[in-house]
Amino acid sequence: MCGIIGYNGFREADKVLIDCLKRLEYRGYDSAGIGVIGKKLKIFKEVGEISKLEKEIPTLDGDIGIGHTRWATHGSVTRENAHPHISQNKKIAVIHNGIIENFKELKEELEKKGIKFNSATDTEVITHLISNYYKGDLEDAVYSAIKKLKGSYAIAVVCEDEPEKLVGARNESPLIIGVGDNENFIASDIPALLRYTNRVIYLDDGEICVVSKNSVRVLDENKKEVNKKVNLIKWDFKDAEKSGFPHFMLKEIYDQPDSITQVLRGRASEINRTIEFNEKIENILSNGLDSIHIVACGTSYYSSLAGKYLIEKLTNIPVFVELASEYRYFGTRNEKSLIIGVTQSGETADTLAALKEARNSGCRTLVVTNTIGSTATRISDAYILSQSGPEICVAATKTFTSQILVLFLIALKIAMIKNTIGTDELYNYILQLKELPREIRQVLDQNNEILKVAKHLKNCRSVFFIGRGINYPLSLEGALKLKEISYIHAEGFAAGELKHGPFALLTKFTPVVAIVTNDSTYDKIIANIGEIKARGPQVIAIAEDNDTEIDKHADFILRFPSNLDLLSCIPITVILQLLAYHVANLRGCPIDKPRNLAKSVTVE
Amino acid sequence: MKCVILAAGEGKRMHPLTFTRPKVMLPIANKPIMEWNLLNAKKAGLKEFIFVVGYKSEMVRNYFGKGEKWNVNINYVNQGDALGTAHAIGMVKKFTNKFIVLCGDTIFGSQDIKNIIKKEMSIGLVKVDSPEEYGIVETKGKKIVKIYEKMPKPFSNIINAGIYHFNNKIFNFIEKTKKSPRGEYEITDSINMMIKNNDIEGVLLKEWRDVAYPWHLLDANEEILDKIDKKIEGNVEKNTCLNGNIIIGKNSRIMAGSYIEGPVIIGSGCKIGPNCYIRPHTSIGNNCHIGNACEIKNSIIMNNTNVPHHNYVGDSVIGQNCNLGSGTKIANLRLDKKTINISLNGKKIDSKLRKLGVIMGDNVQTGINSIINVSSIIGNNVLIGPGAVASGEIKPHSKIL
Repeated sequence: MCGIIGYNGFREADKVLIDCLKRLEYRGYDSAGIGVIGKKLKIFKEVGEISKLEKEIPTLDGDIGIGHTRWATHGSVTRENAHPHISQNKKIAVIHNGIIENFKELKEELEKKGIKFNSATDTEVITHLISNYYKGDLEDAVYSAIKKLKGSYAIAVVCEDEPEKLVGARNESPLIIGVGDNENFIASDIPALLRYTNRVIYLDDGEICVVSKNSVRVLDENKKEVNKKVNLIKWDFKDAEKSGFPHFMLKEIYDQPDSITQVLRGRASEINRTIEFNEKIENILSNGLDSIHIVACGTSYYSSLAGKYLIEKLTNIPVFVELASEYRYFGTRNEKSLIIGVTQSGETADTLAALKEARNSGCRTLVVTNTIGSTATRISDAYILSQSGPEICVAATKTFTSQILVLFLIALKIAMIKNTIGTDELYNYILQLKELPREIRQVLDQNNEILKVAKHLKNCRSVFFIGRGINYPLSLEGALKLKEISYIHAEGFAAGELKHGPFALLTKFTPVVAIVTNDSTYDKIIANIGEIKARGPQVIAIAEDNDTEIDKHADFILRFPSNLDLLSCIPITVILQLLAYHVANLRGCPIDKPRNLAKSVTVE
Repeated sequence: MKCVILAAGEGKRMHPLTFTRPKVMLPIANKPIMEWNLLNAKKAGLKEFIFVVGYKSEMVRNYFGKGEKWNVNINYVNQGDALGTAHAIGMVKKFTNKFIVLCGDTIFGSQDIKNIIKKEMSIGLVKVDSPEEYGIVETKGKKIVKIYEKMPKPFSNIINAGIYHFNNKIFNFIEKTKKSPRGEYEITDSINMMIKNNDIEGVLLKEWRDVAYPWHLLDANEEILDKIDKKIEGNVEKNTCLNGNIIIGKNSRIMAGSYIEGPVIIGSGCKIGPNCYIRPHTSIGNNCHIGNACEIKNSIIMNNTNVPHHNYVGDSVIGQNCNLGSGTKIANLRLDKKTINISLNGKKIDSKLRKLGVIMGDNVQTGINSIINVSSIIGNNVLIGPGAVASGEIKPHSKIL
């Protein structure tokens, strides 16, 4: 996965491109490069982060150009493999996000024609194809070239002979056009552009766009001009900045009281005592549901597991949570089941593929995402936005809690429709939801205690997380957060499963984080803690405010507000997030951009 | 000759009104500040405009379009980051050589703009009573010697008015300008560099109205309304009393028993009365409703807002889409008759005014018989319950019950 940006306007293109690339860096950051046309096409590439490119780049004069930040899929991380890739006559430059599946055949074909390849990337075939077809009109050449391609791509192309024109094309990889004044952009994602314009056009699969300084043309597969709607983006580009926090992750953790209010806004109504969604969604939820399949990847998979617990508890409808990459090939499809795709970016390739499969076999599909206009919202029957605002840190925080809440709202809605909960119970839940932001602030106020505990964890080789019921997915998430940002090995287990194997790993040096709620399993988990303590590890308990019993069993205790019932999962998550953050920070890890990871995974 | 209008700023001192619009789109006498500048510049003979936009630029673009309505040509440039006036002016390098620059949030007179047009490389100056709020200009004869930053004890009362006539040499100096202590590229720094080798003349302005804080809108409103002529396009029923210069827009209906003392401007599609009293220096936007037993004085009421029954509104600015409940009244005078202190963005400011009502953002609803205290600042989307008392600074989206 990569980030791409193209600029055509009145500013100095090199500065604009680097500025936009910095905002796309979350899409990948192992190497980067830009190409600018002044009198001639000039290319500059570098291995490493954008800031390194920025330091070493000479001034490239010109007001049209393309830029790319790479997350390697084909070919290792080298300067040769960084984009842009240029044609043999050094006149055409191409950047690409996606994977060309038939690149080996195309490469052989081109090599037979005597073309020499400089890199190991799949992208380079696109460059040579376009160059091969080029007869004085870049859009024709791109048009002919993409006909040959199989796979996913978002590309941007410039040609030295036509310095007034920037050409883009997309298929199954995100690409948008930013419409400015006397300047236009193409980019992978909106935050890259927000500083310059808030008007965007969403390109659809198979379309190509021709972007000049003062106009934008979009052509469909048959080369017919399409009239596209210009959408106004309501977020401010300031929303995408750190606003005073040392890391985006911490900012996003502290955003949660607000992001939760946003999820509930217009959906949970205290006055009408009801849960409201738009008609489309209500229709989908009300027509005789046999079962629900939730498909997701990574963190979204864990939020879905928590969602499964909530939906089953409230509605008695069986819920199956499946990894999208598995479901798409091996899952069962039943026309009476509802498929819910959960994806923060709305571009996760596996989840998209799973949704397409489900839709093709006649299932109803619903998407929970944070990104309006994303591919997922367009290929499903209906979508619910988690309305969390942009999330920049690679490790998901506020979108995780928002996703759980959306699933909770869905659960309440189905329960209302199926009459499995009474109106008083529903009202009670709505009141609890409205209280949540305050409860979370209370948890955030414990920042210092959490930091103290983090100091004990920072030198550990591994950490285990345990919980029962809904706390089991939370322990998985707690472990994922810790491992992805602090590089400490961490694993989550259902508390009862520990003795079936993992016990062998327990030593004095493997602390265990236990999530303890005052429910029917309370005694069981206290017993589990006893078993663990007997093997030597320190136990960090995450427990309710009014739980005094736990003091006798655990070494450290982090508290969350009592009486939250099902919703205790939200404040517990916040504690786990802060714990992971502080451990990573104490270890000096690059929190917002952990090694080898990327924010949205648009490859399969 | 092109005219560059700087319109990118957010106008933090104009909160809460600028939470929902850029500063230049604040209405005075039913036209945005920016439009008054456009009209005056057009009167002075300018037809080619470049708007440097940024914060909520779509509102400027939607209102002015390409300028067909005014028979001028408007081009837009997005500043991106708000990095100061020099950065904003630097944006237009590719589009013009000789040009006039106006700060979009200050209203300039057409004769003054004309005088500036005549003199290449010049700066508008103005004499003010409280120069400590502005950049002071040191002059020698007609020549500018130096422009100073704001100072607590200024040596002169001649200040930089925010209107310039430049040629393309200025861009060389803009490129060399370094960030000022407050982190912005200031055009005054560029000018100070330029003065060393180039003569720049000062032109003293006659008309000048700066609007820094929300209550300054009322002063500007008064100034412009004092100049209007009578023009009635709406329907006026029998038994109404219209005294003085009053403008009434198309499709507005003035119902019996309304007593209106000019100068007053009422937009189009309004329903006024029956039995209401509108006093001088009031601007009422489009599609408003002023109902029975309401009194309004020296106020700005923006589009789609209702003051429907038993209300008093004095010395106030009320945003769009507000609805006052029956009997909601706004106090505008301290009982001890002292000047009014206002808390804005958490800072206390002495307005030096004796009377000030409310500054109310957009989409505010008030319940019946609610009370709004002297000099309250009410954010957008606030809800004030029946019988509640609102006072001080109220954050957007809050509820007072």
